[in-house]
Amino acid sequence: MTDSATLDDEALLVQQIRSGDRNALGEVYDRHAPVALAVALRIVADRGQAEDLVHDAFVTAWQKIDRFDPARGSLRSWIVAIVRNRAIDRLRANRPSMEIGEADDRSLLQTGPNPTWDDALARLGGAQLRAAVAELPTEQRDAVELAYFGGHTYREIATLTGVPLGTATSRLRLALARLREELRQSDAAPASARAGDDR
Amino acid sequence: MSDEMTHESIDELAGAFALGAMSADEAAAVRAHLATCDQPHAELREAFPAGDVLAASLEPVTPSPDLRDRLMGSIERIPPVAHPSAEPVKPPWPRPGWFDWISPRVARPLAVAAVVAAIAVGAWNVSLRSDLDHRDAALRAVAAAIGNGQTAFRVDGTAGRGYVVDTPGVGAALVVADLKALPADKLYELWLLDAAGTPVAVGTFTDTSGAVAVLPVEKDLSGYATFAVTVEAKRVDAPTTTPVMVGDLTGKSS
Repeated sequence: MTDSATLDDEALLVQQIRSGDRNALGEVYDRHAPVALAVALRIVADRGQAEDLVHDAFVTAWQKIDRFDPARGSLRSWIVAIVRNRAIDRLRANRPSMEIGEADDRSLLQTGPNPTWDDALARLGGAQLRAAVAELPTEQRDAVELAYFGGHTYREIATLTGVPLGTATSRLRLALARLREELRQSDAAPASARAGDDR
Repeated sequence: MSDEMTHESIDELAGAFALGAMSADEAAAVRAHLATCDQPHAELREAFPAGDVLAASLEPVTPSPDLRDRLMGSIERIPPVAHPSAEPVKPPWPRPGWFDWISPRVARPLAVAAVVAAIAVGAWNVSLRSDLDHRDAALRAVAAAIGNGQTAFRVDGTAGRGYVVDTPGVGAALVVADLKALPADKLYELWLLDAAGTPVAVGTFTDTSGAVAVLPVEKDLSGYATFAVTVEAKRVDAPTTTPVMVGDLTGKSS
C-alpha cells in the first residue's frame, strides 16, 4: 500500500470478490501471498504446512469476505491475521482460535487512523521495518517474537525467559512503544534514506 | 490476573493484548473492560497495529507456482458469499421476507436436538410428538452436543416453520414445527439450491403427524444458497411447484 489510489484499488478488489469475481481473489493472492507465506513459514517452520495455511486462509477470505471491514485494517492485515492465527493454532493445537476475538478487539479500539503505524506500513519497505525491529533491545525483541511468531502468552514468556510476569508485560509494552517511536523517526527520514525497499 | 481489571492493569497489558499474548480468559476480561470503559486507553489503541508491522518486517517468501492454481481450483468449487452490496442472487421463485432470526439460545438447542435425533433415529419421517421419549432423549443429548458448532438457518413458509441444521460430513437435518398435513397423494420434497438457483433434491417425507418433525437432509449445506421445501406428487428432479418453506443459507446463522 503506497497511496490512496492503491487503497481505492483494494476497495475495488474487495467489492469484486464480494460480487463473486474469482480473478479478483487471484489478484489479492498475488499481492499478499508472499507476506502471508512468510508469516506462516516463520511460525510453523515447514514449507508444506505453511503453504497449506496460506491456501486455507485465502479460501477463508473468499468465503468470508463479508466479514472484512476496512475500518479495522487493510485487506493484507486481515489475511495475515487469519494466517497467523491458524498457524498458531496448528503450532499449539490446544489453544483456541483468536480470529474472531482479534477482529472484535479492533472494533473496540479503532477510533480513527493510527498515523504512525499506518504511515510506516504505507511508506516504509520491509528492509526498513526489519531494521526498526532489529533496533529493539534484545530482550524486548525476543519477547515480541515469542508472542507474535511463537504464539506464547506473556505468562509463558515470563517462564521461558526466567523473568517475573511484570517484567514480561513491561518488555512487550516497552517494545511496542519503542518500535512505534523508531517508525515515527523513520517516517520523518527522507526518501533517500529508505534505500533497499524490498516490498 | 483477575477478571476485574483496572485502568492501570489494562495499560500494563497493552503489549500483550496487542500481540495476542494472553490467555482467552484474560483477553476476554480486557475486552469486557474496554466495552464499558470511558477511558481512552490510548496506549492500548496505539499498540494494536504492531502485528501488522511485524508481519511486514519479514522477508516475503514467493509461494510455489502450483499454490495459486490449487487455490483457484479450490474456490472454483465454492460459490461466492452473498453480500448486501453484491448483486443479489435470485432464486427461481420469489423469496418471502421472513428471514428474521430468533434467539440463538432457542435456535441452537432446537437445531442441535434435531441433528442428534435425526442421527440417532436414522430414519425418515420421525414424529417426536408421538414419542415423547424420543424428544426427551434428543433434548438430553443436546446438552452434550451444544457447542459442537453446527450451523442453523431459519426456514419459514406457509407449510410450517423451523430450522435447517448443517452437520458437515454427515448431512443436515430439517426440524420443523406444526407442519401442515398433506393429501394422501402428495409428499414434501426438500431442495438445496446453489447461488445460480440450480436445485438438488435432498429428500422427501410424508408423515406430518407430529408437532415437531425431524427430517434428514441428504447433503450438507456447504456451497448452497437456499433451502426449500415443495409439495410434489412424487419425488422429482426439479421442483414443479412454488415452495411452501424457504431458508436463506447465505445470511447469518442462528
